[in-house]
Formats: sequence, C-alpha cells, structure tokens
Amino acid sequence: MNLRLLLRSLPSCLFILRSAAWLAPGQARADWLAEWQGELWHVWHACDSKSRDRFRGSPEITDFCLGAFRDAFWLGWNNPHSTPRRIFRSGSASRCSVTLALWTGISLLACLSLPGVRRAIRPSTYRDADGLVMISSGGYSGAQSPSIGFQDYQSWKTSTRHLFTDLAFYQPIRRRVHVTRHRGAELSIGRASDNIFKLLHLEVPRIAPDRSNGDYAAKLFLSERAWRESFGGDPQLIGSVTEVAGLRVLIAGVVSQDSWPLPGQLDAWLIEDERRLSLLPLKSKGFVLAHLQASESRQRADEWRYLSVPREDGTSDHFDCISLAQRERLPFSILLFTLIVALIALPATTALPLGEYPRHSGRLPWPVRMRRWVFFWSKFALVVPLVCFTSLDAAYGSHPLNSTTAQYIQLAVSFFGFLFAFRWILQDQRKRCPVCLRVLSHPVRVGLASRNFLAWNGTELICAGGHGLLHIPELPTSWFGTQRWQYLDPSWGSLFNDAYMPSAGVV
Amino acid sequence: MTAMATEPKLSHTAAMILQTIHGGQVYGFSVMEATGLPSGTVYPAMRRLERDGLIVSKWEQQSIADAEQRPLRKYYKLTRGGVATLQAMHERYPLLKKMIADPEVKNA
Repeated sequence: MNLRLLLRSLPSCLFILRSAAWLAPGQARADWLAEWQGELWHVWHACDSKSRDRFRGSPEITDFCLGAFRDAFWLGWNNPHSTPRRIFRSGSASRCSVTLALWTGISLLACLSLPGVRRAIRPSTYRDADGLVMISSGGYSGAQSPSIGFQDYQSWKTSTRHLFTDLAFYQPIRRRVHVTRHRGAELSIGRASDNIFKLLHLEVPRIAPDRSNGDYAAKLFLSERAWRESFGGDPQLIGSVTEVAGLRVLIAGVVSQDSWPLPGQLDAWLIEDERRLSLLPLKSKGFVLAHLQASESRQRADEWRYLSVPREDGTSDHFDCISLAQRERLPFSILLFTLIVALIALPATTALPLGEYPRHSGRLPWPVRMRRWVFFWSKFALVVPLVCFTSLDAAYGSHPLNSTTAQYIQLAVSFFGFLFAFRWILQDQRKRCPVCLRVLSHPVRVGLASRNFLAWNGTELICAGGHGLLHIPELPTSWFGTQRWQYLDPSWGSLFNDAYMPSAGVV
Repeated sequence: MTAMATEPKLSHTAAMILQTIHGGQVYGFSVMEATGLPSGTVYPAMRRLERDGLIVSKWEQQSIADAEQRPLRKYYKLTRGGVATLQAMHERYPLLKKMIADPEVKNA
C-alpha cells in the first residue's frame, strides 16, 4: 500500500483530526474533536457511496481532514488565553523579548555565515600570537597597503637581532597564473620570504616526492578558495609546474585562507628563497612580520611597541609594532571601549530615573515585582549581543580584518548602537505597566500649561489591564519632577477587558 | 450613527455561509455541500460568525443521533443579529439569494 492510499484510510483520517486537535485551545478541544469526528462520519459516507471502496476512501476525505488544521489553528490563535496570543500580544513584554531575541539570533547567524566576521570572532589559532608582531610605518598599523621598504627589511635582519629572533617579508602583487596554455587565472599573490609559514606556524601540506623532482627557486601555495574557484579543485594541480611573472614555480599545496591573519586578501603565496627575494627593488614596499625575543614578548605582551631607526642624517624613522594577539583582540577592545563610552554618554541623551512608584506596591506578590526588573535586565542582556553582532557584521562583512575602514565602521556602529539601545531600554521601561509590563496606552492631556504653578499639567496614560495610571508632567517642577505611577484598586478591574486581567500574574 | 455603520462587513464567502445557515437545520458538512467551499474555509468562517454573535451552535439530542445510528451533529442557526446582517448582505450581494435559495423560496 502506498502512502497516498494509507493517508486515505479511516485510521489515518482520525489520526489527522487528533493531531490537528492539539492546535485547538485545551478547554474547547474535546468539543472541537467531537464535531469534526461527527462531520467525518458524514463525509466518509458521502464519499463512500461514490467510490464504493470502503477502505480506500476518497481524496476529498483527506482534503476535508487537512482543513481541520486551519480550523484548529484559527481557534487557537483567536483564543485570548492562548500562549502564542499572549506572547505576541501587541505591546507585551514577551513580544518585546521574543523580537529582541529573534534579531539577536539573526545577527548571530549573519556573524557565523560571513567569512570575514567569522575570522574576526574566531579565537586565536597561533601558539605564539603574543610573540609575533607586524611592523608598519608610524600611523599605518591599520592600513591594508604595504608600508615597509624592502631595504629596511634587509637591514633589520641584522640590526634588530637583539629584538627579534626572525623576520619575514611579503609583498602583495597581482599576476596571471597559467596552469596550461588555455587555462589560467589572475590571482592576488603574496610574494614572500621562505620563513613566513614557519613564523606563523601554518600547517603546509607536503608534496609527494615523486612529483617534486627538480630544484625550484619558488613554490606557489594556493588558497583553498582560489584552488576551488579558479582551478575547479583539481587535485592533479598540486605538484605541477607553472609560470608566474616569468618564473617557473612549483604548485606546492593548498592553504586554508582562514588561517591567514595578515593584511591583504591573498589567493596564493609565492614562497621564494632569500637569493631570489633579494632581487626585489630596494624601494619596493611590503609587509614585515617579526618574532620577538622571548624576554620581550613576556615582558610587554599587551603594549603598543614602537621601533625607532636612526638615519645617517641624524633623524630617525618610527615604526609601529603590533602583536598578532593585539590585532585579533582589536574588535573586542573596540566593543568594550564603545560600551563604556556609551554608558558614560547615556545621561546626556535621556533621564536615568525610571519614575516614582508608590511604596504600597509591597502588596504585590514578589514574583510580579521581580519580573519588572528581570525584564529590564533581560533587555540589556539581549541588546548588548545584538549591537555587538550587528557592528561586527557591518564592519567585517565587507571589509578585511584590521582595516582602518572596518575599525571606524565598528566604532561608529557599536557606539551609536549601544547609546540608542540603552536609551530605548530606559524609555521603553518607563512607559510600561509595572504589574503586567504591557506598554501603556490611551494618552490623555491633563491640566493647562497656564496653571502649572497651581496644579499639574501633563499626560496621563492608562494600563489596558486596569493596573494603574501613569502621570507624566509636562514641565518638571520641584513637587512633580518625574513621572509617577498610581496603582488602581482591584475593584476597577470590572471596567477592563477580562482578557487582560490575568496578565497581572502571567506575562 | 446609522444602522449600517454598526453592522459587520462580511466577505462574500461569509455571506454565502450565513445564507446557507439561514436555510435551517444545518451542520458543517451540509454547509460545505451547499456552498462547495472546502472544510478549511467553512469551519473557521463559522467560528468567526459565531464569535461575532451572528450564529449560534447547539448539539442535537443524543436520542436523535442514536435513532439514526450516526454520531451527534452540531447544528448552527442564525441569531437576530445574523438575520439583520444577512438582510444587509442581500443589498450588498444581490446574487446571494439566487446562489443559495431562501428556505421560503425552497418550500414554495
């Protein structure tokens, strides 16, 4: 018996109805199911007389039963006491929390799906990230373009041995790589010294001995993305010989681009020995990576270091040395910095007090009183990650890690995000009922501005559940400086919609 | 305030169902048969009409169902408000009476 025939059998129809019944409200479920089962009997007999096949039934019967889902859903959704309706009731605290959680989840998913952001939030993969420093010209530490002359690199190799154990150089270039006569791709290649992968502790795959015959002055390592996108992930490519910039090179392996932490979106790395590299023009610019002496890295791991190189004319050149660990921590440092600055700036944008609430609120059960504060802090708990993830998405979604533009974007988005989010939290909390946490409604203007010294004038809002009134003064005075909440006696409950009353106990 | 302003505005489908229920002793499946509408449309529409006070439902007596050897039926009928709304709907949808005949017309 196939699935279609099985669905048309009477037990299947009854199963569909019983399943749909779970969508109906609990108190009406038995009645609802009885009606649908009764109706099914009529439908079954009506169709049975047509099809003359008692077991198989008719497709109309299945359609009829599936319609029960729509009916049950309607009943469940329109039940004022149903959980989804309570959660998504306009202005309710749960709706606010669910919406915030949803946005936080979406921004987190974006973080995890964008490769640039994933790289920014990933924990450091380097064993000695504190000891590795990136050297750049003074003020160019966030730049994506090279700033160190090859001549400087050559001289530092001997003159800075007391500071660095090893130095590596690389220079981004753009060249066409030909695999065969008709097959090639233009790639962004990092022309690098042969110790760069060793310095970064990058795992480099070994080449099969039978395919690596011959002495090549340079080896080409492809990024995984370039290997897949430009060369179709061809495994035969590894170990073959190609030509790059007039030089015969061996394609030595594939390196994961995620593990490359340095500036430059590189598709491949052209690793040259010192002899070949020394042929570079002395004025050409590149990036320099250095490994600090053990004593230096232990002493001042978090410090921003400067390298000052004296010139023959008596002046000196200044260079920034930033550890890889520090570069990787930068997005988190920016978030922490903007969080603190936003908290400091908050009082300038909105009043901090939440209003005056009568002391006799003590007759409210403590879970109700606590819920207000739980909701208040839960908004903070949801908003902080939301702003963090959003700022990371905005900054590193389309800009490379550690680029100055990305840092400025993150700084701006996170600062204004935190500031306006905190401001919104306070304002939102002020306009909610302290009992049911619903947003207050029905604003009414009370008093006259001309009588400000004789009586209060301002706006009065009411809780739709009948829990109280909120008085907001138009002009803060010495006797009415901030908004005041007034609890209503439970006897007022008869004037309000019953559907809202249980919310005093349930959000 | 005019009388029309207080009357609920019904869709053509809801008006058809209201017209069918006006016919007398009807239950869900008989409305489906009369209107040709699917169950997923008819039952939620009847719930909405009942919520708005235009129709009421009532289970039939057990003895009747036992005598006819079938399960209990839940019958629907129009309230006074439902009758008034239906009359207003006849003006809005003139072909409604022709699509589903009135009980008086049927009896004649």
